[in-house]
Amino acid sequence: MSKYIERFSPSERVLHWVVTCSFFTLLFTGLGLYSRLFHGYFGLFGGGQNAIFIHKVGGVIFFFSSLYMFINHKKDVSSFDDADWQWIRKYGGYLTKYGTHFDIGKYNPGQKLFAVFIAAATLLLGVTGLFIWMPTAFPRWIVQLSLMTHGLMFVGAIMFVVVHVYLATIGNPGTIEAMLYGAVRKIWAKKHHPKWYKDVTGENP
Amino acid sequence: MADTVNQAARKGFLVDTARCIGCRSCQVACKQWNKLDADKTVNQGTFENPRDLTPALYNRIRFVEKESSGAVIWQFINERCMQCGDAGCMKVCPSPGALYRTKDGIIAYNKEKCISCKYCVSACPFGIPRYDSDNKVSKCNLCQSRIEGGMTPACAKACPTETLKFGKRSDLIAKARAAKKTLYGVDDLNGLGVVYALEGPPEQYGLPAKPSIPLSIFLWKDVIKPLGILGFWGSIGAMLLHYVTIGPKKIDDDGNDKGARHE
Repeated sequence: MSKYIERFSPSERVLHWVVTCSFFTLLFTGLGLYSRLFHGYFGLFGGGQNAIFIHKVGGVIFFFSSLYMFINHKKDVSSFDDADWQWIRKYGGYLTKYGTHFDIGKYNPGQKLFAVFIAAATLLLGVTGLFIWMPTAFPRWIVQLSLMTHGLMFVGAIMFVVVHVYLATIGNPGTIEAMLYGAVRKIWAKKHHPKWYKDVTGENP
Repeated sequence: MADTVNQAARKGFLVDTARCIGCRSCQVACKQWNKLDADKTVNQGTFENPRDLTPALYNRIRFVEKESSGAVIWQFINERCMQCGDAGCMKVCPSPGALYRTKDGIIAYNKEKCISCKYCVSACPFGIPRYDSDNKVSKCNLCQSRIEGGMTPACAKACPTETLKFGKRSDLIAKARAAKKTLYGVDDLNGLGVVYALEGPPEQYGLPAKPSIPLSIFLWKDVIKPLGILGFWGSIGAMLLHYVTIGPKKIDDDGNDKGARHE
């Protein structure tokens, strides 16, 4: 009997890494636009004008791939049950050294919040990005509000991504295997997502 | 890298609107000195022409037409970059050296460093910067090269009525105050480099009564930007702290060792 169960299909994994690559492209092309402190990052792309161009291309890729990813997972991330409440009340067990058990399905409330936030941020960043793209075609107040909102959503996104990367790598060993090879170890699934484990395998964890 | 202006050294204009006869010599002289092409315009039933600043029109006369006891009254005001002491354009410009302040307190620009983001268009309290066909910023820089050569800007040189007075900003203001003029722009935005003597409320001339950097631009650059950098490093710090204090959720930790600490 295999030690592994499948968590993400190849197409889900490819989509995730497309979103990841476009996100970091946007991050590094956008840093110089965020503050003059990061002007040096423009050098990676051969100057600010090139960076802006790549930012626009990356933005279009991120917008559609990120929204498509959300639509794919909408069913799994928009449900909410008692175990989720339990998880929230105990902060997912992340504030204690001792093992905690929650009867969590495929995603826990933290992951659901991350998915919903990134989807909302993608929409807002995309729409405001369009106004910033062609500022003279729109009323000034719309562009001004867009510049502010674009910055604010970026800050929210990068903070969420820092947490996401931590929890998916060193914070929860074994997790990244799901996104790299598609399969996770059963022992991992039993620990983190017992309800999902039961749904998939039919065994009690 | 905050933009600061040396008030004592500032040069600028005093625009005495009462003296303006609307001849537009300033517009023509500006075009001539700065080698700007003519803009094609259309007759829209007014002598005001062109109706707005363009990438090839750094200053123009706005015609204010009023009716007073059956007769039409004209008021003229010279419209251009105000050379703000606290400049929205410089606050948002992401490319160092694209917009910069000269020792005279003028906001000059270098098209080669402009990266065409157009942030300055949105941040200007007066809606002045325009983008030319090369997608680079253009606006009045008070004929930077003339000032540096000890001359007055072309528009002021051409003005036949001394409406446009160029010189040391503090002297110009002191003289206008002594003449009991109503001044606009002395303190707003840390002092405008172009101060107006008006004959009515600023709104009548199409000027904002209390010019300021747009609120969302202020929040973007002075609140969200610094807090965002703090938030980024804060979240990295929080994750590292979590890792070394509480630690990861290890896969082989079955969670039943509550309280049992191993060696």
